[in-house]
Amino acid sequence: MATKSNFKRAVPTGDHSRHHVLASLHTTQLVDSKAVLPAELIATILDYLPIPDMFRFARTSKRMQEMVYDDTRWIQRLKSMGCWNDVEARQRFEEAMRRRMEAQRAREAEEAPRTGVGLNGSINGIAGGGDAEQKISVTLFDAGLEEDVQRKSLDWKVRPRTGMLDRGFDDMTLSPTGSSAPLTLDPNVALKVFSNVRSIRGMARQEYGKVYGALAPYYFDLARSRSHTDPVLFRTYRDPEQQAQMLSQLKIFAKSDFAQGWNQREERVDTMMGIFENAVLREFEQGYEYKDFDGRMKRYAHVLVTLNGGAAGVDSFIHNHPLMLDKDKLGNPADCLRHAGPGQVSLQPSHQFFKGLATALNEEAAIIDRVFPMSIDVLLPFVDRIGEDIISEYVTTLFDEAHEVSIEVYLKAVSGVFEQALQFAISLKPTQGSMPNFQEEVMRVISRCFEPHVDLYLQEELDFFKQKSAAEVEAWEKRLTDEEQSTESFFMSNVNRQAAKRDFLTSFKKVVMMPVNVLPTIGGSSKPASSTLGINGDTLDPTSGTSTPIPSERSASPRLEAPSTELAAKAAIMNSRLEGIRSLFSIEVALNLIHTAKSSLERAARFVRLGGQSGEESKDQCENVFISLLQILGNRHIKPGFDKAVNHLSAYRPREVADHNKQGVAPLVAFLELVNVGDLIQQMVDVFYLQELVAANLTDRDDFLSPACKEKKRFEQMLDERVAAGLNKGIDVLMDEVEYLCGTTQSPTDFNPLVGADGTVQLLDIGPSHTAKKVIDIVQSHTSMLVGSTDKNVLDVFNQEVGLRLFTALCKHLKRQRISVDGAIKLISDMNAYNTYIASLRNKSLTQYFSALRELSQIYLIAPNHAKDIATIIADSDRYHGIFRAEEVYEFAERRVDWYQLKREVEKQMYGVGCVTM
Amino acid sequence: MATSTEAPKTVTLTTSDNADIQVEREVAERSILIKNLLEDLGGDSNEAIPIPNVNEAVMKKVLEWCEQHRKDPPASQDDDSDSRKKSTDIDEWDQKFMQVDQEMLFEIILAANYLDIKALLDVGCKTVANMIKGKSPDEIRKTFNIQNDFTPEEEDQIRRENEWAEDR
Repeated sequence: MATKSNFKRAVPTGDHSRHHVLASLHTTQLVDSKAVLPAELIATILDYLPIPDMFRFARTSKRMQEMVYDDTRWIQRLKSMGCWNDVEARQRFEEAMRRRMEAQRAREAEEAPRTGVGLNGSINGIAGGGDAEQKISVTLFDAGLEEDVQRKSLDWKVRPRTGMLDRGFDDMTLSPTGSSAPLTLDPNVALKVFSNVRSIRGMARQEYGKVYGALAPYYFDLARSRSHTDPVLFRTYRDPEQQAQMLSQLKIFAKSDFAQGWNQREERVDTMMGIFENAVLREFEQGYEYKDFDGRMKRYAHVLVTLNGGAAGVDSFIHNHPLMLDKDKLGNPADCLRHAGPGQVSLQPSHQFFKGLATALNEEAAIIDRVFPMSIDVLLPFVDRIGEDIISEYVTTLFDEAHEVSIEVYLKAVSGVFEQALQFAISLKPTQGSMPNFQEEVMRVISRCFEPHVDLYLQEELDFFKQKSAAEVEAWEKRLTDEEQSTESFFMSNVNRQAAKRDFLTSFKKVVMMPVNVLPTIGGSSKPASSTLGINGDTLDPTSGTSTPIPSERSASPRLEAPSTELAAKAAIMNSRLEGIRSLFSIEVALNLIHTAKSSLERAARFVRLGGQSGEESKDQCENVFISLLQILGNRHIKPGFDKAVNHLSAYRPREVADHNKQGVAPLVAFLELVNVGDLIQQMVDVFYLQELVAANLTDRDDFLSPACKEKKRFEQMLDERVAAGLNKGIDVLMDEVEYLCGTTQSPTDFNPLVGADGTVQLLDIGPSHTAKKVIDIVQSHTSMLVGSTDKNVLDVFNQEVGLRLFTALCKHLKRQRISVDGAIKLISDMNAYNTYIASLRNKSLTQYFSALRELSQIYLIAPNHAKDIATIIADSDRYHGIFRAEEVYEFAERRVDWYQLKREVEKQMYGVGCVTM
Repeated sequence: MATSTEAPKTVTLTTSDNADIQVEREVAERSILIKNLLEDLGGDSNEAIPIPNVNEAVMKKVLEWCEQHRKDPPASQDDDSDSRKKSTDIDEWDQKFMQVDQEMLFEIILAANYLDIKALLDVGCKTVANMIKGKSPDEIRKTFNIQNDFTPEEEDQIRRENEWAEDR
C-alpha cells in the first residue's frame, strides 16, 4: 500500500476539482480518495488500453503523459515480442551516459541554467536533488526504475528531437508525409522492422513505435478483413517471401497486443497464416511432384521457414516422401524367416533392408541440403518418422513372426536386427541443418523403435538360457544313466596335468574373447554380406560328440572358427582324459553351458547401449544370465557330481575290493580328478566373468553387493566346501587303503628274515620292502593329484593330515611286527623311504615325526649284547624330538624278536636297582 | 485451518461508516487482505473486522461480487510479475455488475485494490479502459476530471510524437 500514500500527496497536483474528496483526505488519513485512482491503478488500466487510446490519454495531463511514457511499459511490450535485450540495453545505457557526459561539457556554456537538470536526469546519484525543482512529483513513484522515465521526459523537454534521440524512426514519422498515411511507409522497412529494434533504455517507446508504425496497420487491417484477398498486406507485398516475412512478424507483433479483443485478433492472424501456409504448401508439393528441387521446392521451403519455422513444409516433405509411400519396396520382414531353413533366421534380408534405408536416407540428406535452408533440421524429424513408421513396423512384424517360429529364432532376430539398426544409425550422414548431436538423436530414434521389445526380449533371453542349460544338464544326466553300467575306468595320467590345464584355459580365453555373433557392417564400404557370415550361428559349439578325442574333427567352415575348434578339440582331449569322472560331471557340459550363456549375454549386452532404463534392465538381465549359469552349473551339475563322488568314497571298503593292482584307489582318484575339473570349471567361470561381464562393463567387479558377484562367490564357496568334504573322506579312504596294504602285503619275514642253514641271514635286497614302496606310491600318487588344483593352504593341510595319519598307521603297523636285528636294516630302509617321501612334501612338523620314526627304528639294530645302549636310546627322548615318550619307545622295543632275553638287562639299566628285586 | 470444514462460518465486517455486515467466511476470503487477517487472528475469534477504507455501500457491492465468484480458483500469486497481459475479456455477469456510476466504479476499484481482490480489480480496470477507449483527450479529461496542464503546443507535440499510433 506504499503507493497509496504517495498517491494521496500527489492528488493535489493532478486534480483540484473534487473538493469533498480532498476534504475527507485531509480530515482522515485512512479514508481514500473518491475520484481519482492511485497511479498504480491507472497504470493497470493503461495496460488494457489500445495504443492510440493510450496516447490520447497521455495528452490529458502531464502526469498522465508521464505515466504513459513510462519506459517499463514499453520495455514490457518489447519483451513480449522478444525484442528486448537487457544486456544490450545496459551497454547502450552506459555508452549513452558517457556520451552525454561529454556532450554535457560541450553544452555547458550555452545551456548553463539547465545543466543541472540534464545532469540529474543522467546520473542517478544526484537525481533526488534535481527533481525537487521539477513540477512533476518525485513522490509519485519511489522505485528506482522510475528514474528512467523521469530522465526520459526530462530529456525530451530539455532537448526535443536533438542528439541521439532522433535517430531513425523519429525522422521518419515526423516527416510531413508520415502523418498523412502510415501505410505509405516504405514496405521494405517494415519487412525488416524487427531486426532493427534496438534495446535502449528510455527509448523503448520510440522503438516500439517503429514496430507499431510498421506493423499495426497491417495487423488491424488483417484482423478486420473477412477473406484472404482483403488484407492490404497481400496487396502491398506480392512476393511470397515478403508475405511470409510479414505474417510471421505480425504473429510476433500480436503478442504485444494487450488490449481487449486480442484473442480474436490473434486468431485472425493465425487463420490468415494458415490459409497462406496452405497455399504455399500446395506450391511446395507441386514442386516436389515435379522434382523441382532447386526451383520451386527450394523457394517455397524458404517461404515456409520464414513464415513459421517451416514445420508444415517439413511435415509435408516427410509425409509425401516415396520412402513413406511405398514402404514395401524396402523388404518384407518375413523374408528373414523364409530364406533361412525352418527354425532358422537369416539376417541377410534385414541387412538389405537397413542398407536400402540408409542409402535412401543419405540420398535424401543431399536433397534436403538443396531444398531447405540451413536453419532448420529436416533430416532428424524425417529419420524420426522413418523410425516410427518403417523401422518399428518392420521390426515388430519380424519379431512377432520370429516369436511364433521359435524362441531361439526370436532371440537371434532381436539382437541381430538391433545391431544392424545401430549400424544403420551410424551410417547416416547429417545434413547442414542438423544439430551437432545428430548421431545421438538418431540413436535415440532407433532406441525408441526397439524399446517396446526389449523387456520381452530380455525375459525370453533369460528363460531361454535357463531352459536350454537345464535341458543340457538333463540330457547329460539321462545319457549318464543309460551308460551307468558300463563304467569305464581309465585315468588321466598324472603327467603334465597342470600344463594341460593351462593350455586348455588359454584356448578357452581366446574363444571367450571372440565375439559369437559376427555381423556385417552397413558402412560406406558396404562389403557384400556374404552368406558365409555365420550370423548368430553358434560358432562356438564345442564338439558335441560324447567324448571322441579326435582333434581333426573340424566344423564345416574352419576359416572363421579356428580358435573355437581348437578349443573344441582340446575339450575333447581333456574329456577323454577325464573319462574316469564322466559319470560325475562333464567339462563338456560346463563348456556348453558357458557357450550358451555367452551367446545369450552377448545378445543381451547389445541392448545396454540403449541407455536409460532399458539399458539398466539389460544390464541386470546380463547379470541374471550369469547367475543362472552359476546356479545351473553349480547346483545342478557340479554339486551332484561331487556328492556322488563323496558317496563313492565313503562307500569304499578296501578289503572288499578284489583287485588292488590298479594304480590307485579308484573312487579317490576319481574324486581328485573331480577336484581338478571343478577347479578348471571355476577358472573358466572366472575368465568368463572377467571377459564377459567385467570387461564389457556389465557389472562392477568391486561391487560386493552385485548379485553376480555374490553368486560367483557362492559358487566358489560351494566348490570349496565340496572339495573339503571330499578330501576329508578321501583321507579316510587313503588310510584304509594304506592299512589294508600294510596288513596284507607285509610278510612276516620282511623284518625277521629266516636264518639260513649256514647261519647267515638271507638278505635279498637292502632297499625298502615291497609294502613300503607300495604305500609310498599310493600316497604320493594321490596327494600329487591335488597339486595345482587346490589352494596351497588346502593342500598343506591335506598333506599334513595325510602325513599324520600315515604316521599313526605306520606306528600301528610297526607294533604288529616282529623285528630281528637283521631285519632292522630292511626296516630302516623302509623308514628312510617314508622319510624321504615326507621330506619332499616340505612340511616341517611332518618331517619331525618321520625322522623320529627313523631314529626309533634304530633300536632294532643294536645287537642283543648291548642292552645297556638300548636302554639309553629308549630313554633319550631328545632323539625323538619329543614325539615319543620313553614308555612308547619301550613299547616299540618290545617288538624285538629277542626282547625277552633282553628285557631284564634293559629294565635294569632303565630303572636301576629297583628292578633287580623284581 | 481449524475452521475450514465446519458449516458456513460467518464473519462480521465493520465498514468505514460503522456498519456491520455479516458475511460467510468463504465469501469474505475472496479478499486476500481479510483472508490473511483471519488467519493471523487464528481460529474462531468473533470479533468484527474493521475495514476502515471502504464504506457500507461499496462493501456490499464488493461482497456481491465475491458471492458470485466464491467458487473461482484462487488467483496465482506471481503472475503479475511477468506480464499482466492476456487477461480474458470481461464476462457477462461482470459487465452487468460494473454498470454503475463512475464514482461507484472507482470506489469498487479502490476497494478491490485495498482488499486485495485481484480478479475484481482487473474487471474494474478493464471497465475503465473500455470507458477511455475511443475518447478524445478532452472527453477523457471530462470523464476523469483531469485538469489539462499542457499548453496547446505541448499537447500537439505529444500527438505528433506518437503519430505512428494513430487510428486510421
